[in-house]
Amino acid sequence: MAVMRHLGMDELLALRDGEATALARAHAEFCETCGPELERLYQIRSELRALPSFRPPREVWPRVAEKVGRRRLRRRLAYGGLGLAAAAALAGLVVLRGPLREPAASPADVWIAEATSTDLGPVINRSRQLETLLEVYSPQRRVYDAPTALALSALEDRIVLLDQILLESRAVGADRALLRGLWGERVQALEQLVSLQAVQEENRAWR
Amino acid sequence: MRADTLALASAEVARARAGDLEALEHIYRAYQAPVYNLGRRICGNEEDAEDVLQDTFLEVCRSIGRFRGDGSLWSWVRRVAVSKALMLLRRERYRAARSLDGGADLSETVGRRPPEPTAPIDLETALGRLAPLTRAVLWLHDVEGYTHEEIGEAMGKTASFSKSQLSRAHQRLREWLE
Repeated sequence: MAVMRHLGMDELLALRDGEATALARAHAEFCETCGPELERLYQIRSELRALPSFRPPREVWPRVAEKVGRRRLRRRLAYGGLGLAAAAALAGLVVLRGPLREPAASPADVWIAEATSTDLGPVINRSRQLETLLEVYSPQRRVYDAPTALALSALEDRIVLLDQILLESRAVGADRALLRGLWGERVQALEQLVSLQAVQEENRAWR
Repeated sequence: MRADTLALASAEVARARAGDLEALEHIYRAYQAPVYNLGRRICGNEEDAEDVLQDTFLEVCRSIGRFRGDGSLWSWVRRVAVSKALMLLRRERYRAARSLDGGADLSETVGRRPPEPTAPIDLETALGRLAPLTRAVLWLHDVEGYTHEEIGEAMGKTASFSKSQLSRAHQRLREWLE
């Protein structure tokens, strides 16, 4: 008669989790070594679940709220989204009606000038197209795994940072080449973001 | 009270999805303890757990508009928290691997393990002695109820990796707790 060897840790865990073979189950039921081992695994899992909880620190929410507020402010101030759409609408008005008075150095004027210029216009428009594409993907977006989440967060943070730099560069009258470079970087980051989202959607479709 | 039994009014969640900061704070208050505990158990220390808590809710505030309500809110928040905790572990592993000049088994590199205990130790101490990835797998599987497939996916590895880490964790606990 064949004597079954004792169960290894993998087999015992499979048994505990209801994934083992009938043979392994039968062995554990009668074996004086494996039976108690299995019981010990149940016991450890119960003890793990019964470990005391830690009290979270108190001051975290104000930090989160402050960062969320800052991020929203940056988004509002930055190019793209509503600001740019408003600028484009204003640009349309100016084209149709012509300038009513001497150009003033208001932010809207600067946006219009940049969005319709030959050097910055194309890259700004590309940026807008990508933002629109992201809006299409965004409702579906989920966090699938750590590397993807890390990549998405890093790209989004990069865009927020670029928006801030663009805002400040324009405020200090930085030259056009610098602005074009910054817009180019923004477009690159957006393209990577769109590409990642597209891969995620494709993977989801295959599941 | 278990986190998955916490019920937030759907109106509250809808307000949060619309960006209402007060509603977002209610969600934070409801889930801060389980998220912090998850971070603490996976990362093994207060400082990293606090980072997990903060990063998780920054992500929740940023992405809650994408929560479609086809699962529980806690499941979604927990998935974000696990992702953030594992991201932090990965960052620490790379840092440790770089400082060790590479070549070492990354699952064992964070924190040089103290000498083997000469007498039995308690479960809390034993948990703290496990290599971070091994501990994370143990916690996610045995306590949070993740499957090996889910753990493998969250870690960017395979289900077999998760199984072998769980086996390793229990082997170690067996040696240390006896």
